[in-house]
Amino acid sequence: MIDVQRLRKQYGDLVAVDDVSFTAQPGEIFGLLGPNGAGKSTTIGCISGLLRPGAGRIRILGHDVVSDGPESRRQLGVVPQEIALYEDLSPRENLLYWGAAYGLRGSELNERVAEVLAVAGLVDRAKDPVKKLSGGLKRRLNFACGIVHRPKALLLDEPTVGVDPQTRVRLLELVREQAKNGATVVYTTHYMEEAEKLCDRLAIIDRARIIAEGTLLELRALLGERDILRVTGRFDSRKVPEVIARLGGMELVHCTDETIMLAASEASKKLSDVFRDLSLEGFEVRETTITQPSLESLFIKLTGKELRE
Amino acid sequence: MRFIWSTAVKDWRRRWRNPLEIFMWTGIPILVGLLIALAFGGRSGPRPQAHVFVADNDQSFLSRLLVGALSQEAAGGFIRAEAVAEDEGRALMDKNKASGLIVIPDGFSKAVLREQPTKLELVKNPSQTILPGIVEEGLSILVDGTFYVHRLVGKDLRKFADGPPQGANTFPDESIAAFSTRINQTMTRLSGYLSPLAIKLETSVDEKESDTLSFEFLLLPMILFMTLLFMAQGMGDDFWEERNQNTLRRVRSSPQHVLTFLAGKVLSNAGIIFVVSLVALSAGYGFLRLNPATMPLALLWATLSGVSLAAGMTSIQLFTASQRAGNILTLAITFPLMMLGGSFFPFETMPEWMAAIGTRTPNGWALQRFKDIVLHRADTGSLVLSFVVLLLALAVLLYLSAHRLKRSLARS
Repeated sequence: MIDVQRLRKQYGDLVAVDDVSFTAQPGEIFGLLGPNGAGKSTTIGCISGLLRPGAGRIRILGHDVVSDGPESRRQLGVVPQEIALYEDLSPRENLLYWGAAYGLRGSELNERVAEVLAVAGLVDRAKDPVKKLSGGLKRRLNFACGIVHRPKALLLDEPTVGVDPQTRVRLLELVREQAKNGATVVYTTHYMEEAEKLCDRLAIIDRARIIAEGTLLELRALLGERDILRVTGRFDSRKVPEVIARLGGMELVHCTDETIMLAASEASKKLSDVFRDLSLEGFEVRETTITQPSLESLFIKLTGKELRE
Repeated sequence: MRFIWSTAVKDWRRRWRNPLEIFMWTGIPILVGLLIALAFGGRSGPRPQAHVFVADNDQSFLSRLLVGALSQEAAGGFIRAEAVAEDEGRALMDKNKASGLIVIPDGFSKAVLREQPTKLELVKNPSQTILPGIVEEGLSILVDGTFYVHRLVGKDLRKFADGPPQGANTFPDESIAAFSTRINQTMTRLSGYLSPLAIKLETSVDEKESDTLSFEFLLLPMILFMTLLFMAQGMGDDFWEERNQNTLRRVRSSPQHVLTFLAGKVLSNAGIIFVVSLVALSAGYGFLRLNPATMPLALLWATLSGVSLAAGMTSIQLFTASQRAGNILTLAITFPLMMLGGSFFPFETMPEWMAAIGTRTPNGWALQRFKDIVLHRADTGSLVLSFVVLLLALAVLLYLSAHRLKRSLARS
């Protein structure tokens, strides 16, 4: 189990993580979803021992990461966002070294390395220098190095960034296998679809804080199965709420003089009414977009911005 | 402990895959050493000797004595005289075959004995400066010597120069006996000054002068410590290699302490420095015919010095914001250290004030102690103290590096 309670991390005046709490259970894939700079990597850094929390408490399998650091990290596997491998060494040599770093020795280490090479599909390239491997294979090896010691808790920090679709599918399979074997997995991503497909529970993080948490179903319920209608053009943000209120059955999520975001059931059917009323007020509509209920639309609803902004 | 070994093995594998780096570390100092050796005249070789032709037109006992005096070992062995005819000697001088030509004129012997003016001609080779000067100085000493002999027994000498009395072919026995007696009396009179000498010559041996070491010997520590400095600089840079490959973050996320990881790096560096020093010292000891009994300790000292220098360079790199800044800073430190610390110019060739500063630099101090070990002139107490100082420095630098590494990773 990974238990994070009221975590706070600050760099000077910048608060990178503020009052973040969540608990990931064994066999569960817990997703941390948020845009770049939201605080996901800082949270992972604090859990993995790379960063010292400013406040709050983190426990991994019951061990406090500050007061019992080495023990808490012994059963923890980390797959960093960046490739973290020795380029001059072979995949086998990399795995041997990282396995040794977690206390594996002798035949146990050799057997485990062989096993992980097979799991990651790297047996044929086991003796080639890492620098000669493709980006996808390096990603797989990066993952393999994080699981070589059979960790009971696994942190994955955007492991699929920049990988080809085939490798992405393979990596997600590997993550599921870890959870199936009983590992507690914390997975950060800014890919909504990935989080939807993979995670059992999710926390949406934005501007250093968790703004929503739950299973996918629970989070969708927050949105109420409503679409997000995004209208761009020229508006008067002071008058817009009144116009939208007149329309009825629509919730104004976000409003500026250039953009309006509305949450509504079956938004496509209400599109003509929205155009008409906005035009009557003298506003100019240039473009509209309807987003079906998803984590993406939930994020927009909660933050008033798209995830990739 | 096992992780220390794993880290060392891992780094040895990495170095083995990049042998060019080690060739650069060792090749540059060897090249620089060779160039310096050439610039300073190469190996010491045979002592320079002035080859002098002597054209003896007098062919007297005294002229032959002069030639013998110039050539004898007491003249320092700097002059080798060769008898030639005057014309032949001048022709050979035109062909640049000797440092000088001495022409002894006819009647030289009589003139000297009578203390009359005479002229010894010295033709110097204009293409040489030092060796003809030696010949000239040698002749001046002989002229001075003749002056003093005249002051002591000049009267008798003049008598002999006039030859036997008229009608006789030889000097009468009583004249020779009287001359011998006067010589003896003169010597007895002078013996109060000469034996022992009235002037007591006290010689104080300058420590440094007594250590007059051959240039080849000075090259050994110079090249070795230059290599160690290059290696230290390169090994310090490895921190950035690890950082750029993000492997440091992975280490930090593992249960291993950063200090253990750094200790592994120290072991790896020690292994490489040991092998390089072993090769260098084996070659040096063999070539210079040094006492092999001192080699194990010299090897240990060189290895420990190299490891400590590498730890120092790593600490400096850890204080910089980028690899570029780190390289510029460590190079800016390495080269002055090399110049001052006796790794570019031996201390023995430096002005005293510069050598005094140089021996107080870390590498300069280590180099001096290395020479002490090789020459077997360090006592056990000071050696133990030196090793303790070096080990303490290494421990402090390691601790400092671990602290900086943790901070720098936390900030990145």
